[in-house]
Amino acid sequence: MTSPNGNPQDGVDIGGARPADLSLPGALDGLRVLEICDEKGQFCGKLLADNGADLIKIEPPGGEACRSFGPFLDDVPHRERSLSFWHYNTSKRGITLNLETQQGQELFKQLAATADIVLESRKPSYLESLGLGYEALSADNPGLIMCSLTPYGQTGPWRDYLSSDITQMAGGGQMASSGYDDIDVPNPPPIAPGGGNSWHIGAHYAYIGLMAALYYRFLSGEGQYIDASIHEACALTTEGAIAIYLSTGEVVQRHTGRHAAPDMSPAIQFPTGDGGWLNTTRSGTNLTPARLRLLAEWFDQSGMAEDLNDERYQDPEVIAAENDHIVQVMKNFFMNSTLMDSFHGGQQRDFPWGAIRTMDELVGDDHLTDREFFKEVEHPELGRTFTYPGPAMLYNGSPWRISRRAPLIGEHNSEILQGELGLTNSQLLLLAEGGAI
Amino acid sequence: MPLPTPLKGIRVVDFTWVRAGPWAARWLGTLGAEVVKVEWPLNLDTLRQNRFTVPPGVEPGPNSTGQFADTNANKRGISVNTRTEEGLELVKRLISVSDVVIENFSSRIMQRWGLGYEQLKKIRPDIVYVSMAGFGHTGRYHWYGTMGPAAQALSGLTHLSGLPGAPPAGWGWSYLDDTGGMYGAISALTALRHRSATGKGQHVDLSQMITGITLTGPAFLDKTVNGRQARREGFPPGNRTVWPGAEVVNNYRGPIAAPHNAYRTSPGGYNDWATIACLSDDEWHKLVKLMGGPDWADSRFDTIDGRLEHQEEMDDHIEKWTSTMGKYELTEKCQAAGVRAMAVQSSQDRVDNDPQLRHRDMYVPMDHPMLGPWKFQNAPFKMSKSPARIANPPPMIGQHNREVLEDLLGVTHEDLLDGYENGVFWPTTMDRYPYIEEALR
Repeated sequence: MTSPNGNPQDGVDIGGARPADLSLPGALDGLRVLEICDEKGQFCGKLLADNGADLIKIEPPGGEACRSFGPFLDDVPHRERSLSFWHYNTSKRGITLNLETQQGQELFKQLAATADIVLESRKPSYLESLGLGYEALSADNPGLIMCSLTPYGQTGPWRDYLSSDITQMAGGGQMASSGYDDIDVPNPPPIAPGGGNSWHIGAHYAYIGLMAALYYRFLSGEGQYIDASIHEACALTTEGAIAIYLSTGEVVQRHTGRHAAPDMSPAIQFPTGDGGWLNTTRSGTNLTPARLRLLAEWFDQSGMAEDLNDERYQDPEVIAAENDHIVQVMKNFFMNSTLMDSFHGGQQRDFPWGAIRTMDELVGDDHLTDREFFKEVEHPELGRTFTYPGPAMLYNGSPWRISRRAPLIGEHNSEILQGELGLTNSQLLLLAEGGAI
Repeated sequence: MPLPTPLKGIRVVDFTWVRAGPWAARWLGTLGAEVVKVEWPLNLDTLRQNRFTVPPGVEPGPNSTGQFADTNANKRGISVNTRTEEGLELVKRLISVSDVVIENFSSRIMQRWGLGYEQLKKIRPDIVYVSMAGFGHTGRYHWYGTMGPAAQALSGLTHLSGLPGAPPAGWGWSYLDDTGGMYGAISALTALRHRSATGKGQHVDLSQMITGITLTGPAFLDKTVNGRQARREGFPPGNRTVWPGAEVVNNYRGPIAAPHNAYRTSPGGYNDWATIACLSDDEWHKLVKLMGGPDWADSRFDTIDGRLEHQEEMDDHIEKWTSTMGKYELTEKCQAAGVRAMAVQSSQDRVDNDPQLRHRDMYVPMDHPMLGPWKFQNAPFKMSKSPARIANPPPMIGQHNREVLEDLLGVTHEDLLDGYENGVFWPTTMDRYPYIEEALR
């Protein structure tokens, strides 16, 4: 079968870009990154490390506090079993250093002298107070790029404000745009979407700043300091809400599962017979006579077209006038179909609808398999291999890869502190007993 | 002297439209790249037609929407009909002197134009080509169409948002247009670093929909590792970490915590809400002290188990307290007491009432030829040596034809004028805007 726009379907012509051969270096090969990050910056570190940077994660003795975020492997809470930590720290090596001890600071400085990038998400001025600010670290390493990614940035009246994911989404405007129509939930609160996305949003911009600084260093040889703010990143991430306010003075209202807008708009999410929801998007249905005919023929295959095959619907004015009825026929069809059948059936007729998938539908998906999205990652200490999400993009010239699972606490202390910095066994022992690592 | 920009000397051919693609190129421009947006007035960028963002008193038209303005700042624009042989040839010449080509068409459009990666590479061997199709260019459903909301639905992100037992609330905007744009910029910049290191370009085949899946890591692993059912009672947990009465499992928003919610504030208007999150018993006790140590806040609430068990009662009491003050007053009091809190801020709040964004110059004033004095969103980071900058308003359609085609590509003035007469640089069926006539003089 071929779709109406002439596109091939199902298994034909799956080629576009093929991912680069894993024997090639990644795009960030040769870059050394030191990361001192909790949940706020670790995703930026993952983006760097999966592209081939040599990233050393520096944790306090005992490990970062976000190792205690669930869910945990087999629901057994343990700092080496956090699936959240696993996901956000792939391809990194890890050492422990107590930066509040003089020895810890000295070792950190030695490592920073070998680094291209330092990425940190501690409180503003904390590293500086330990003598580990950008000026100190770059004195003998002028090409060093350092990025501090913090809730509100290094300056301003809110710079010391405490935050969490939900408070960032409140201040950033995500919540003011997300929620419900009264008809679906009476007196609805604004909703903070889940998944830790304020940290993602901050991490994306920090990554962009770092890449820009790398290009500038390529041109000039100079490193620099980047002061990145999660609050500003979130404030930028509500699509048209700011432009609407600046243009008309109107503040958007929240609607169930669709764009917040100054006006009321038609519902676009419909339940399917198997308990799912289909999002038909506001402009995606766009019923012309020809498109209505496509729908009617499709629905007719299961005897659900009602009167939509009638010739009178080949008139845009009739379609407009009968919109409520047409939507009711669609809803009936979806309730007698399944989520994935409704989605594929729509797409194959050029209706750009989306199934509201959960992990139950996503894992094992054919299209994702075609793109080699599911990555098997070995956990040698457990003797087990787990399936991780792959990349959003295929680089055909430089492979993206998960080069190793997240580091265990202090896993690479010996490899890095002894192997690279030349510490002896007894020095390592003394550091450990003295609480420096 | 102004500081240099980081992407100095980089030229980007921008075929993108709507939101995700233009937003990607917008950041390359804000970082100093010379971005040339290629358009054709008969296939107008839908943001040029955005009905919500034409200011009152401004004549509607393709150069008059606020949403296009911010999404396309720091670019230049040309109008070229790539369906003509001459137009396509000029686009190829532009590519031959450029570093990056970026587009967000359906998956095979560029190939049909003869501008797929294999052809681009012949024109410019080290070109960085970023494609941003919904499902990507690779995979059996590469031709499926998505807009932000559908991409979010398919990625699993929509399912993470809402109240249990209610329809999915999802994201009240095209989050994956914003974030898809981020990944477009990330793709281009990462590939540019690879080019700096190796001299080689490449094709980066981005899928807007899949960007969303990469943001669901803990939920993804909870499925593949633990086999957890994604559809379960009490999920998604609203603004909480665990819904009252539901099984205590981590629902992917950081640590399990309570209180963790949005509460009404005075005077009770549409956006009079604030969030509070206590991530430890210690933070809870700070909140209790701040509330004046009320009788209800007894030892049942001392530990996280107790606060989860009595969450409804606790949240009701907290909201009675928060309702007595404004959201900023509440935020300041909580922060002073060491309690994590923040006002729910609308667009108006961010632009007019947020002292932090004001201090950090988030909204940069600049004149726009149609909109007048305008504000543009600044970069969310400060670079000490080569800062991002808001340098130019967005192009009016075809505004920079003369400088790009004549000055950069060497088209003669006579050929330029001919191109306007024969439908290569402007549709023969459309009147030209005064600024175009002006530029051609």
